[in-house]
Amino acid sequence: MKGRSLVGFSINNPKTVTAILVLCTLVLASLMVKVKVDTDPENMLNEHEPVRVFHDQMKQEFSLNDYVVLGVVNEQNPDGVFNIETLTRIHELTEFVRDMHNEDDPEKRVVTRNLISPGTVDAIEQAGLGQVRFDWLMKTPPVNNQEVVRIRDLAMNNPLLKGTLVSEDMKAMGIYIPVSQKDFASEVRNRLLEKIEKYDSSKGDKFYITGLPVAEDTFGEEMFVQMAVSAPLAMLAIFLLMLIFFKQIKMIISPMVVAMMSVICTMGLLIGTGNTLHIMSSMIPIFLMPIAVVDSIHILSEFFDSYQRIGDRRKTLEHVMGHLFMPMLYTSLTSAAGFASLALTPIPPVQAFGIFVATGIMLAWLFTIIFIPAYIMMLKEESLAGFGVAKTSSGTMDHKLSKHLKWLGEITYRKAKIILVLTLAAIIVAGYGISQIRVNDNPVKWFHKKHSIRVADRVLNNHFGGTYESYLVLESGVAELDVAGTADWLENELQSMAVEAPGRQVVVKATELLQKEKGATSVDGLLGNLLAAWEQEMDAAADADYDSWGDVVDLLDKARSRTSIFKDPAVLEYVADLQKFLVDSGKVGKSNSIADVVQKVHQELYAGQQEYYRIPDSTGAVAECLISFQNSHKPDDLWHFVTPDYRKANIWIQLRNGDNQDMQAVLDAVEGFMSSNPPPLAITHQWAGLTYLNVVWQDKMVFGMRDAFLSSFVIVFLMMAVLFRSVSWGLLAMVPLSVTIAFIYGVIGFVGKDYDMPVAVLSSLTLGLAVDFAIHFLERSRSTYKKTGSWQAAVGEMFEEPARAITRNVIVVAIGFTPLLAAPLVPYQTVGIFLASIMAISGFATMFILPSLLAVLEPWFFKKIKRQV
Amino acid sequence: MKNFIPSVIGLTVLLWVAIGGAVEAAPAVDEIINRANLAAYYGGDDGRADVVMTITDSQKRTRTKEFVILRKDLKDGGEQNFYVYFKKPSDVRKMVFMVHKHIDRDDDRWMYLAKLDLVKRIAGSDKRTSFVGSNFFYEDVSGRGVEEDLHELVEETAKEYVLKNTPKNPDEVEFASYTVWIDKQTFLPVKAVYFDREGRKYRIVEALETKMIQGFPTVVKSRVQDLLSGGETVSDFNNVKYNLGLKEKIFTERYLRRPPKEVRK
Repeated sequence: MKGRSLVGFSINNPKTVTAILVLCTLVLASLMVKVKVDTDPENMLNEHEPVRVFHDQMKQEFSLNDYVVLGVVNEQNPDGVFNIETLTRIHELTEFVRDMHNEDDPEKRVVTRNLISPGTVDAIEQAGLGQVRFDWLMKTPPVNNQEVVRIRDLAMNNPLLKGTLVSEDMKAMGIYIPVSQKDFASEVRNRLLEKIEKYDSSKGDKFYITGLPVAEDTFGEEMFVQMAVSAPLAMLAIFLLMLIFFKQIKMIISPMVVAMMSVICTMGLLIGTGNTLHIMSSMIPIFLMPIAVVDSIHILSEFFDSYQRIGDRRKTLEHVMGHLFMPMLYTSLTSAAGFASLALTPIPPVQAFGIFVATGIMLAWLFTIIFIPAYIMMLKEESLAGFGVAKTSSGTMDHKLSKHLKWLGEITYRKAKIILVLTLAAIIVAGYGISQIRVNDNPVKWFHKKHSIRVADRVLNNHFGGTYESYLVLESGVAELDVAGTADWLENELQSMAVEAPGRQVVVKATELLQKEKGATSVDGLLGNLLAAWEQEMDAAADADYDSWGDVVDLLDKARSRTSIFKDPAVLEYVADLQKFLVDSGKVGKSNSIADVVQKVHQELYAGQQEYYRIPDSTGAVAECLISFQNSHKPDDLWHFVTPDYRKANIWIQLRNGDNQDMQAVLDAVEGFMSSNPPPLAITHQWAGLTYLNVVWQDKMVFGMRDAFLSSFVIVFLMMAVLFRSVSWGLLAMVPLSVTIAFIYGVIGFVGKDYDMPVAVLSSLTLGLAVDFAIHFLERSRSTYKKTGSWQAAVGEMFEEPARAITRNVIVVAIGFTPLLAAPLVPYQTVGIFLASIMAISGFATMFILPSLLAVLEPWFFKKIKRQV
Repeated sequence: MKNFIPSVIGLTVLLWVAIGGAVEAAPAVDEIINRANLAAYYGGDDGRADVVMTITDSQKRTRTKEFVILRKDLKDGGEQNFYVYFKKPSDVRKMVFMVHKHIDRDDDRWMYLAKLDLVKRIAGSDKRTSFVGSNFFYEDVSGRGVEEDLHELVEETAKEYVLKNTPKNPDEVEFASYTVWIDKQTFLPVKAVYFDREGRKYRIVEALETKMIQGFPTVVKSRVQDLLSGGETVSDFNNVKYNLGLKEKIFTERYLRRPPKEVRK
């Protein structure tokens, strides 16, 4: 076999092999300097994905930004934030961030124009009899209580500001800092933290910074720190554990070298092929390391156990590699297949992750089979003198291990049926747990509960309408009319005017002219011709008729703007109703729309009286409210809520919780409302916003992962059937991994841990790792059975070397990754717990369930072998 | 009158200039600004123009507003009245904006919302807010008070005087200073550039086209560019006429609801 001759080659030419490997590694390592980091979870979706394209379009169309939210909270002062000191600080902080930009890349900046803070929003105020005034809410910090009260009252009486800029309990004020690019968010946060640190905290002001871009950007940053800390720590832990088992530093350096080379080469390939280093791919080293050392541990473990007996390193190696070559090849292929299946998911970073982990696994296999033998051959025979033991001396850890394993082996034979019944029971219980799994994610929750971003998230969402934004975009579905339709529409309008207007003859004349133009070839032509004809009449008209002609000419403009439905009072009422429904349902903290603007302006035009907080009755009146609003410092603020053609409107929805489940509930609520309350005019709706995007990519992820998982399950089974040349043995090999997966996901369901991105990705790791032990165990069982001819006799032998190798592996990998539990990022903790559980459960499942099954079904499974024997 | 510069050419510049004879040596700063003030805001005793205002945002979306502007001076360089009657878009037709410009106190401003049938006084303290959603400010319509800034002649080119203007009350305005180019021949301000506190220019107002109408040099096309948002507004002035003999009573609250016939043509 070719592979085996490869092993032979490296046994014969250890130095050449080592030199080649080192060279390859160095070359690939050099590619890593090209690294491009990408921490944007938006890239979980392909950039051409329709929802993402739409999201970007809407951000542009409505000039929307992602916001860093700085919350200033004062619980100590009876007036909350409405005191001179706090407001002065808010002013100072506003000035501080106003023009903030990255020194090296000025494109990364705060979008000054869209900054929301008391100093940058307009207040419409009553300025004495019949007067209104547009003025900055807080142009300069207040110098006396009167000014403080003015600011407070204006803010609290403005529904656009209350719940967004200032909390309803008046204890918190929010500064919404729009960033041009999300990857600037973390820098904004850091610079603010630095500034805030200098403030005297005795006045009771507390500062909190959150918002999805901050969470996402900061996560990216801390993730790379974790990668640099956790991976080496795990490496160290594995090293120490191996030292305990094998005692010889010289020997255990080799698996470390294999792991390092695998990680370096894989990352070099990933970066060298132009892939960005994404949140997912940064986890490659963590995933690769346990897999890379597993094979080496098998070799060392067997070598350790056989060396003293055989006494010659070359012979021992040939013996060990002869045993292990096929199982190692297959365990690597199955693990690789598990990860490669991720290429089937519709999520680009997950695809890259899957493909490169799979590549890394095969590299690790190659390095293991050629480097470990070469390494052992390069050691002097004398230096191996103390390695391994002929018979374990009593009292050592290994002695205890052997004793326990032996006892375990006997139990699996004697109590096989009980074990199997218990397994079945466990699977049924796990099945129920799996049915309880809740699919949910929230990037803010990727931080540990005590992380300042999590704390800020909790505090601010307590005070405000919510720091999670999503955008419900409504679009006019009113159909355009053709020439005949437009002419009919105009005729109808003229007829209905005739009743009310005094200028009867004007309408008659206009209708007459309309009849003449009906043959126009386009709507533009029709309206253009009519404009010329009607304006000519208007210019020549007597003063008494001038007004009527004005009304007639207006019709042309109205005909053009028939689809501009977001000036229509009925439509605005509908929008207001929808918003009220969402807030009343408790799913939405706050929402802002053009309907709020119109109502607020209308109220202020009528001296601020509460009963005028409503949508006026005509389109013209709505337009006048809007043009009044545009007499402010920031007229373009209107275009955050509606497009200038009034065909699209944007409802800015604030959620207090960024869980996908909460967003999903809002999506469902809107669907429900719209289907049971049909809009007055045809309206289509679509969603945008980061909170929404997270739901979309997560959906794709969950279903993509499920499909990938199922397909790799089938592939692994086929591989097993080929390896063992038997369908029944193939099925048998699938048992421990199935039990492991059922158990782990059952527990997730029971304890109520959300099925989120990290958990989803780990399913493929489970598959790949959990099958390994079964392969080793079954392969050895068959060869042992050939020797002994009975399972009872074979069990004894199985629970010697093979069981020890499995146990060592379980302990090394499981404990080796415990440093991850100390990481401040939840996904890392999850990986740590998963790795430990996978190893432990699949190890136990292999050592308990497989021998029990073989014991009970011995005649059936060993029929063929028995015949050969 | 000291220290004036018409802050903007904008709408105002529309119009009306009555210049005297040719200029020989560089006049004093005071004189330049006084004459520029007159050239930009006080052409003839009164005037009218049909204005088409095209607002273009950074996404190149445009919208237009059409209105008629009537002006009557009570005193050259002193008090004057403006009456702005909206014709398009149709939903704001008949809306009126009226200003009584004062020199020694805040202007009086009114807004008549026809569909709501509501007359609103607009408090005059902050005049640097948008004029009906365009990039022009209210102050661009009626002119910035001469005494509000300190002026200095910073350059004299072959064709223009260049003046730097610094506000006396910097807290009341969004700019740190602005520079104005004044045509030596006509004394029309042809360009104004605004600088923020970091010294960056963020707003440009300029005359794109001027014409002699009834002997008055007149801006017939002007533009404001907002460099921060990337938006701009262009105003075209058509049918400009001077000395129509507009009556003073037109510029009263009574005429808000019943527009004078002069808004027709």
